[in-house]
Amino acid sequence: MQASRARLFKEYKEVQREKAADPDIQLVCDDSNIFKWTALIKGPSETPFEGGVFQLAFAVPEQYPLQPPQVRFLTKIFHPNVHFKTGEICLDILKNAWSPAWTLQSVCRAIIALMAHPEPDSPLNCDSGNLLRSGDIRGYQSMARMYTRLAAMPKKG
Amino acid sequence: MENEEGLQADGESDPKAPIPVSEVDAWENIRDDDIMQQQSAIRAEEAEKVPFIGDKEPLSVLAAEYESGSPILLKKIKVLGEKYGSIRRTRGDGNCFFRGFMFSYLEHILESQDQAEVDRVTTNVEKCRETLQALGYADFTFEDFFALFLEQLESVVQGKETSISHDELVIRSRDQSISDYIVMFFRFVTSGEIKRRSEFFEPFILGMTNATATVEQFCKSSVEPMGEESDHVHIIALSDALGVPIRVVYLDRSTYDIDHVIVNHHDFIPSAGDLPSAGGGSSETTKPIVTLLYRPGHYDILYLK
Repeated sequence: MQASRARLFKEYKEVQREKAADPDIQLVCDDSNIFKWTALIKGPSETPFEGGVFQLAFAVPEQYPLQPPQVRFLTKIFHPNVHFKTGEICLDILKNAWSPAWTLQSVCRAIIALMAHPEPDSPLNCDSGNLLRSGDIRGYQSMARMYTRLAAMPKKG
Repeated sequence: MENEEGLQADGESDPKAPIPVSEVDAWENIRDDDIMQQQSAIRAEEAEKVPFIGDKEPLSVLAAEYESGSPILLKKIKVLGEKYGSIRRTRGDGNCFFRGFMFSYLEHILESQDQAEVDRVTTNVEKCRETLQALGYADFTFEDFFALFLEQLESVVQGKETSISHDELVIRSRDQSISDYIVMFFRFVTSGEIKRRSEFFEPFILGMTNATATVEQFCKSSVEPMGEESDHVHIIALSDALGVPIRVVYLDRSTYDIDHVIVNHHDFIPSAGDLPSAGGGSSETTKPIVTLLYRPGHYDILYLK
């Protein structure tokens, strides 16, 4: 408990110091609980998520950093490796490939990379995975773009 | 995930074993978190059977284990008994090499009170720190693990307020928060060494089963995560990085001549310059500090008679 708190505090200071370094990620710690974080990440360019801003919720376990944070999308997203209803993310480093060398910040970067490079062979969203697996890139992109517009962009007017 | 799907598919295709609908439904609702929880529950159950580091036991327990087993193994255990007197088991959770190394090394320092060795390894630990920094690791990701190892190293040196007894070393080695942090320290050191000398390690890594992996990917998937088993590559890297010679004795069924079985071992001798005895000699004169018994998939600690 003490170790995880100390580590998170270091990450907090690092995030404050490096705020400008990664303009695509805005990582914020809950005011009253250092084990709860949220992040706003920008959809990577040249993907159907471009122009969208996606919110992630982090729940950090007491055994952190020996155990990974639980991360999920709060913003609706149409992506093969994100559960359409719960926002759960299928990413190896959040499961058995986790190591303390990762940080909350680098997890955000990994999630942005996953958005740009979906892995349709281990889908949490089968509809999305099937579009990619059957080679319907256009179908996948238009669905993903539609949800980006609906859920991840500020409403116009 | 894939296993889960595989099981379900098999069940459906086998007409003799219809799976109740409710159970199939339940599978659909299993989330990754549930699977991880189940995995850690299984681990916790296993954990109660063997501590991270067991008690020292006479080598005869090995023979008892294989009583009705392979005659080759029984012969090998007999040969083993000529030189080695006891064994200390480690838990088979994928971290056994590192836990075995940790205990064996700290126990060696505790018993030898070799201050020169402590100073030497401390210098190497600092080099490992610089290696990780040069590789671009943020200090805060690894410094807690380094600090805890150095703390344990210092505490086994006697004559200080913080000094600990052999019993206390055993207790600490069984304490998850300490043991896991030190395993992680070794994993960082191993990964840093492999990456620093990636040209040297690349052919080894390419030669392993996961043949498409790059050095970077190998470290990310097979060195840094807890529970990933250690192979030759890990042992070479850790031995070189810390400058600690390791002997691995192999107990398996391979043999050339059933009437004259020999027990093979391999000494991992750190590359010159980092040897415990400054200006140290060849591989024949360097005595291993840590001796481990390898049975396919697992490492335990071995003691000379």
